[in-house]
Amino acid sequence: MKSWRVVLAFLLILIFSGSVLLSGCSSKTKQESTQPQQTTQEAKNKNFKVGLVTDVGGINDHSFNQMAYEGLQRAAKELGVTVNVIQSKKMEDYVPNLTNLAQQGYDLVIAVGFMMHDATEEVSQKFPNTKFMIIDSEITDKPNVASAMFKTEQCGYLVGAMAGLVEKEKVGKVKGTNTIGVVGGMQIPPVDSFIAGYQQGAKAVNPGIKIIVNYTNSFTDPAAGKQMALTEISQGAEIIFQVAGGTGDGVIRAAQEKNVYAIGVDADQSYLAPDHVLTSAVKRVDVATFDIIKDTLEGKFKSGIVYFDLKNNGVGIGKVNKDVPKSIIDKVNQLAQDIINGKIQVSDKISK
Amino acid sequence: MKSILKELYIPVVAVLIAIIIGSIIMMVTGFNPVIAYISLFLGAFGNVNNIANTLAAAVPLILTGLGVAISFKAGLFNIGAEGQYWIGAIVGVWIGYSFTGLPWYIHIPFALVAAMIAGGLWAGLIPGLAKAYTGANEVITTMMMSYIAIYFSHFLLEFGPMMDKSGTIPQSPVINDSAVIPFLIRNTQLSYGIFIALVAAIFVYWLMFKTTWGFEMRAVGYNQKAARYAGMNVPLNMVLSLGLSGAFAGLAGAVQMLGVQHRLYDSFTSGYGYTAIVVALLANNNPIGVIFAAILFAALGTGSQYMQLNAQVPGQMADVITGLIVFFVAAYRIAEVIKDRLAKRQKKEVKA
Repeated sequence: MKSWRVVLAFLLILIFSGSVLLSGCSSKTKQESTQPQQTTQEAKNKNFKVGLVTDVGGINDHSFNQMAYEGLQRAAKELGVTVNVIQSKKMEDYVPNLTNLAQQGYDLVIAVGFMMHDATEEVSQKFPNTKFMIIDSEITDKPNVASAMFKTEQCGYLVGAMAGLVEKEKVGKVKGTNTIGVVGGMQIPPVDSFIAGYQQGAKAVNPGIKIIVNYTNSFTDPAAGKQMALTEISQGAEIIFQVAGGTGDGVIRAAQEKNVYAIGVDADQSYLAPDHVLTSAVKRVDVATFDIIKDTLEGKFKSGIVYFDLKNNGVGIGKVNKDVPKSIIDKVNQLAQDIINGKIQVSDKISK
Repeated sequence: MKSILKELYIPVVAVLIAIIIGSIIMMVTGFNPVIAYISLFLGAFGNVNNIANTLAAAVPLILTGLGVAISFKAGLFNIGAEGQYWIGAIVGVWIGYSFTGLPWYIHIPFALVAAMIAGGLWAGLIPGLAKAYTGANEVITTMMMSYIAIYFSHFLLEFGPMMDKSGTIPQSPVINDSAVIPFLIRNTQLSYGIFIALVAAIFVYWLMFKTTWGFEMRAVGYNQKAARYAGMNVPLNMVLSLGLSGAFAGLAGAVQMLGVQHRLYDSFTSGYGYTAIVVALLANNNPIGVIFAAILFAALGTGSQYMQLNAQVPGQMADVITGLIVFFVAAYRIAEVIKDRLAKRQKKEVKA
């Protein structure tokens, strides 16, 4: 027993002395690096601090948390601003995390996702001198909050048009049932805007096309997504657009299994199944994050809703499957131009 | 006095060893453990706000921890505190927003008591009766009832009867002001709920150690056959102790809703019901010990968010330390068991 205690004491001493030494070194190097403080632009940017709070999904969610993080990293690299990330472990962490960043003098605090709506509203009120940005949720009545919203009906329109054209010209794996499908996560506006665009785009190039729309009522259930996709395939769907987050992984797997096409969402999902993903309707959360950091740094922060669309690269289409001929890609690019020019207006309301 | 020291010895040593191993891991992975632990400590107790947030995070852990400790004392393994928490939260929020015109001194107790009854029935009715009269393993039944409760909340919130009709986000309406447990310290998450938790701990201590009923429950826990022989109603005590256990987990859900969140969000898990098991284990099922164990784990939680921010140590490091603490507490108990066995064998050999 006694010898055990001696060993313990030794261990303690060893570790603490070691770490004190280490901390001495590191604090020294820190001092040196901050000493030459000049009034250059670089130093000014370095003093600009951006904090990002993820929702409970964490930064490896293959979706908006991850993309926001990528945007933040790009800002650190290209603009030289100081960045920091806190990953929330539970919903009760949102308010303290946002508060901590604001309290420590961060110039811009980014909240990722609609789940943080209430927390952002609450904290932004307490810190009127700190700028906040929230992704995917509308906060319009605070002078220090910018809401990044995405015109996803526009990229939905483009992938819909591509699906319509692929059906019309019977490209690759398509046999000509002239039927396409959608698997949605929930019947909520952020999902329906994608679907609305998809319907309009497909109908615009292929008026006779049949579009099957179903919802799984979950964003985290790949098995349900797969089941729904298999049902739609049995009803003749040859291209299925998934707007269902994690549930959508199952849709892509079903397409692979039955040798039809799937269309990815949010991120470029071509890598999940290169032969079977036709393209992806991409929502560039990374672009939005970077742009708002840059604007805020340059003193051009705008409160209220900031829209991201085709024009400012906030939405777009991902990598296109190799089966798709150039003529179709050209047509889709032309439609994108028409949307940017305002020749085509895409509604975000679904048609029944 | 000596017995208190003995009770403290195991958890304190477990925590110390966990911290030491944690610092070795940090040094190996290139972080400075001293800075990390200092920021962990400052994040948990550095100023009034942080102390308040730590105590706020401890409230649901104290209450669910008490629930689990009661069942452990009675020899039953209620693993489903998470589900009972959800049921309590659902009932608390529902009463919170659907009854108007009640004064606070009726509305709050009404919601809390209803949540306790609901949580108690959730644990006592099906798992309790099944255990008492058919011998169905309560580890499995309480766990499965947890999933039912969690999925039930999804049903209610995702376009179900409890979803806030004014928006499209899956969350309940906000509770009425008369049901809000007020905040104790402004700009923090600490509400008067902390007093409910402390009173509950003292009450459970009194109940378990100073009343006949508590004695009976403990007796059933020590040795069922002896308890039956002594004329105690074993099945009844099983149902009651599981019910009581669930009641405190349900209370935790309601206190969290009325005091902190004010509405029910759609999320898969709060995590409290699972951490509660660890809290009860570290406290050796002592209701007063539960308070301190809950504060420790709450401090690790709030501190780790701060540690991410100020020492750039990933928040998962706190999870590693939590895991190590659990491991060493459990390891000590395993060592005790082995020591017992060895001692018995030696005795036998001596006799032989």
